[in-house]
Amino acid sequence: MSEKLRAAVVGAGRMGMIHGHLLQVHPETELVGFVDRDQSLAAHLASQGLRAPLHPSIDALVAAGKPDAFFICTPTHTHLPVVRECLKHKAHLFVEKPLATTLEDSAAILAAATEAGVTHAGGYVYTHLPVVKAAHDLVQAGVLGELIRFTSHAYISEVFSQKQGWFFQREQAGGGVVANMGSHLFAILSWLFGPIRRVVGTTRSHFTASDDSAQVLLTFASGVTGMVDTSWSMPGTQMLDYGLTVDGKNGTLVLERERILLHLLAPAAGNEAGWSEIHASDVPADTAFDISPHIGGEAFYRQLSAFVTACRSGTQPFCSLVESLNVQRMIDGVYRSAASGDPVTFA
Amino acid sequence: MNDLVLDLKPPEARHYHSWRDRIHSVARFHQPDEVHALCEKAYDLGARAVLAVVDPTIREALTAFQQWRPVPVWAVVPNMQAFIRDLTDLGMVGAARARFMRLRLTDMLRVGLGAVAQVKGVLKKDFATGVNLVAGMELAGLRGLTVSRLFLHPQATEVALAGGVTGVFTNVLKQAERLGVDAGIVTNNPVRAAEVLGDDFRRFAVVVSPCNPKGYKMFPSREACERLFRSDPGRFLPSEITAGGAVSWAGGLAYVRALGLTGALVDPTQVEEAFHGRATARASAL
Repeated sequence: MSEKLRAAVVGAGRMGMIHGHLLQVHPETELVGFVDRDQSLAAHLASQGLRAPLHPSIDALVAAGKPDAFFICTPTHTHLPVVRECLKHKAHLFVEKPLATTLEDSAAILAAATEAGVTHAGGYVYTHLPVVKAAHDLVQAGVLGELIRFTSHAYISEVFSQKQGWFFQREQAGGGVVANMGSHLFAILSWLFGPIRRVVGTTRSHFTASDDSAQVLLTFASGVTGMVDTSWSMPGTQMLDYGLTVDGKNGTLVLERERILLHLLAPAAGNEAGWSEIHASDVPADTAFDISPHIGGEAFYRQLSAFVTACRSGTQPFCSLVESLNVQRMIDGVYRSAASGDPVTFA
Repeated sequence: MNDLVLDLKPPEARHYHSWRDRIHSVARFHQPDEVHALCEKAYDLGARAVLAVVDPTIREALTAFQQWRPVPVWAVVPNMQAFIRDLTDLGMVGAARARFMRLRLTDMLRVGLGAVAQVKGVLKKDFATGVNLVAGMELAGLRGLTVSRLFLHPQATEVALAGGVTGVFTNVLKQAERLGVDAGIVTNNPVRAAEVLGDDFRRFAVVVSPCNPKGYKMFPSREACERLFRSDPGRFLPSEITAGGAVSWAGGLAYVRALGLTGALVDPTQVEEAFHGRATARASAL
């Protein structure tokens, strides 16, 4: 690999541009090109200061110089063919969330990336918030003792009428709120509790032909059971509002946007008994540039740093496509359970 | 010298500790009278300007507030969070069109005449033109308010800084000049802003950026931000001085004063807490 990670972005939509900006700003990366069939976007990219050339195809981009990594930011239903094409060039992969529109496609993406022997990561950006990592570290350190249950929510004010963009079309986006917003919470739960075992879900459509809200009961292989309530038709929050409360035999952890409240019955791993607060400002941000102060914040930069570190060391980051596939099982489980009325179990 | 400045934005555009806090605050601050009362409390505490992302509720409250108090608005345009929602659904041109269609007829005519010259840029999805046009639409809706400073919304600012798109900032300076007001910057990346803008950085009367003893939201680092703030303390208005609630107001203020900064941005929660604390102190002195 060259000194800087040379990366290309496939798909020049909103997320592609965010990743493009970060690849330009991050000191360890170089943005070498965009790929998009819509060549009229070249002027738009340039007007945002995204200086890398726009190519009409992956082959054309590679012909100009093979990148070390591809960032796949195309509409979800295209992820599998795009991944296959990128992997022909043995480059590392970052795939925006959700991984695919179906569980089968998601499994095929992970299998292809694994077979190619490349580093891979998924785009569940909220797992990179410093306060979420702090919560993960506390749970992993066993401060709550044996984990018992959780309750959680993920709400946003996004859909109050029929929508036109691809993001709101089930066939192209892989679903509605569950696949596109609730999945952020699923990714945090996956990181905290491990492989999913059983899903019971119900969904409702209020404004669109897709799911606009859902209530989900999840059981993880670790034995942890809990509930997720999600909606993108909830008034009052322009940014994703999420919350998580985890109960263990030694206490409770409450994860909020900018802090963790921890109640322990007995001291554990250096944490005192009783209530304590860990604020986002108490944990290192490790961020040199904040591309999106209100949505994701420093998490986007940390997400890129984690990917670069993994590519350099030839390892898989904690946010690899293995995690993305676990999230996809939850998404798939919700939709199948909602359709059949039965629980969905994964081996 | 900077005074205290109230940070006012639609309540649904803030982060809260809990969902319960959110629905309480959103319900409350959707009432113009509640926003007006908040402005009065902030004034009582020493706020002499309001940094505002203006929606209809805030506009109504500020109109009433400015009838009684000579407190100017520092306008932040456009309301990017609301715009991004449209952007995901309709794309840039569709989102701009949707904004345009929400204007009053007189504002439509005014903006429409100005927009003719920018049609080419909009159709080519030129970033600076698009931001400028949407900002112009929101400014048209601010007529009647006393505005003394103009800011680009931080979501657009950070993207422009990432790409080094100085034209976006030049447009803000031009818009401000046309209105006869100062231009300012709100950013979490002040060091980057100074690098990208070079000498033009000093054409912005004020730069609002996080500054607190914990280094919270101070990018790329607390040390780099402190160096910048010390180099020209009169230009910076510190925000996040309580590091999101982790530091006391007094502690945060002492820190920014030690850096030579005056004034501070205060959010509604800080205003409520400080006002309540003062009221309690008055009551106990009786």
